[in-house]
Amino acid sequence: MLWYKAWLDTRWRFLVCMGLLLISALGVVFTYPQVAKVMTVEPSVDTSREIGRRIKEGIELSRTYRGYVWSQWFRQNLPQIWTIVAVLAGSGSVLAQGMRGGALFTLSMPASRTRLLGVRAAAGLGELFVLAVVPPLVLPLASPAVGASYAVADALVHSACLFAAGTVWFSVAFLLSTSFDDLWRPLLITLAAAMVLAVCEQVFRISRYSVFTVMTGEVYFRTGQPPWLGLLASFAASAAMLYVATINMARRDF
Amino acid sequence: MTDALAIETSDLRKHYGSTEAVRGLNLQVPAGSIFGFLGRSGAGKTTTIKLLLGMARPTSGRVHVLGLPADAPEPSVEIRRRTAFVSEDKDLYDSMTVAEMIRFTAAFFPRWRRDLEERYLGTFELPPDGRVKALSRGTRTKLLLLLALCRGAELLILDEPTSGLDPAMTEEVLQAIVGHVASEALTVFFSSHQIAEVDQIADRIAIIDRGRLVVSGGLEDLRENYRRIQFVFADDAPEPAFRAPGVVRVRRERRVLTVLSSAGAEQIVGEARALNPVSVDVVPVTLKEIFLETVAAEN
Repeated sequence: MLWYKAWLDTRWRFLVCMGLLLISALGVVFTYPQVAKVMTVEPSVDTSREIGRRIKEGIELSRTYRGYVWSQWFRQNLPQIWTIVAVLAGSGSVLAQGMRGGALFTLSMPASRTRLLGVRAAAGLGELFVLAVVPPLVLPLASPAVGASYAVADALVHSACLFAAGTVWFSVAFLLSTSFDDLWRPLLITLAAAMVLAVCEQVFRISRYSVFTVMTGEVYFRTGQPPWLGLLASFAASAAMLYVATINMARRDF
Repeated sequence: MTDALAIETSDLRKHYGSTEAVRGLNLQVPAGSIFGFLGRSGAGKTTTIKLLLGMARPTSGRVHVLGLPADAPEPSVEIRRRTAFVSEDKDLYDSMTVAEMIRFTAAFFPRWRRDLEERYLGTFELPPDGRVKALSRGTRTKLLLLLALCRGAELLILDEPTSGLDPAMTEEVLQAIVGHVASEALTVFFSSHQIAEVDQIADRIAIIDRGRLVVSGGLEDLRENYRRIQFVFADDAPEPAFRAPGVVRVRRERRVLTVLSSAGAEQIVGEARALNPVSVDVVPVTLKEIFLETVAAEN
């Protein structure tokens, strides 16, 4: 029943996020014909600056359907949406029930805090996994409708990258949710941290080691090799934060 | 810890930063009793209950419930398996229906009583398909009571069970508790600042003030032992120094000296007679007076 309760607590967040991601994925697929028409024109872009180089690269990548999908969706649109989705999935735990009531009732059940937290984390990660897998799988399914094709294997590897990087933001929000008894502070602090990291990535050129690089699956797109190190590092960081969340929860007074 | 005690605390303390919520609490709740835990708002009642249920950790001291240490994680789970709890806030899961709340709770308790569930669903007129968020506070209280009473628990802990209820609903809830206790063997520990309801159903009480126990004992014993002794003098009342034990509070108002005693009223009267009062009056006191006087004496 704890699973059922976790689902009841998070189902609307999950369904809204799923809807947004599906619309985003389908939007990328169905705007491709218009983009393909524009690609016949040779644009003149000043490539002496970074922004110009980026635009030029985006145009070049969009000359192939695989490149277009990666550039427009996995690299450009999805990181922001996915970070928000992961943070939403990780925000709100037993403590956050205090807002809507029921925290003391839950704590009066004969279940250890580790179990309560474990079920909530597992349910959230399960939802995050489904959200990471289903929308990318829409790409191979919907692409024939615009006369293109997208490999299922590509979609699955990108799903793995999304999930791994998503677990990092999920775990940050989850950890903060064991310290704050409302939904908003963990959510806003984690999103602020993500924005700071994104800015630092640009300013200090640390994108190679960034969680966002894992999220976009850039290594896989360019080399055909999954970013094993990035995936492992993401899972390890997430596991460490979830462990700290368990300790934090065990020490808390209610 | 003896088998006959459902709850035992020893020098129990809980600090939140610089605030001392519970200060050296020594509490003994015999198994099978209906124990009223009285105190003003903010006296430390809810904190004590949270310590009993493992929701908060003691700063120091011992706390045993049903013979198990409540501050250890595993025994604490076992305590909650054998204990039913109704919180003061009456909060449940708003997204569930009454039937779902019952299913959710029953899943944790192997000794869940289906017969009682059906009985209380009828008695309390709870709508199985009604959403919890749509229930009134009174109906929520009844649902919480059903969820508590059907667990087959050995100990029922109620934190201000009638707070926010109208008199009719209060009576209904108290009668349900008394009726349940009459048919099932269990200990009831309930906190309240409503003296009348404690007086109505409790057989033992403890009064807590500012985190410290100020009175504890059987209700009948307290009624028997506590006395208000009033001495009237010809002139202004003297300032006596009683040697007799049991003096809770002494109050002087012009010619009248009033003593509240918890024991040994005869000895106090004997001592005061040496001061030549013109009249002596010894009267029993109510629980309300005991409460007000002891709490006032502490402050």
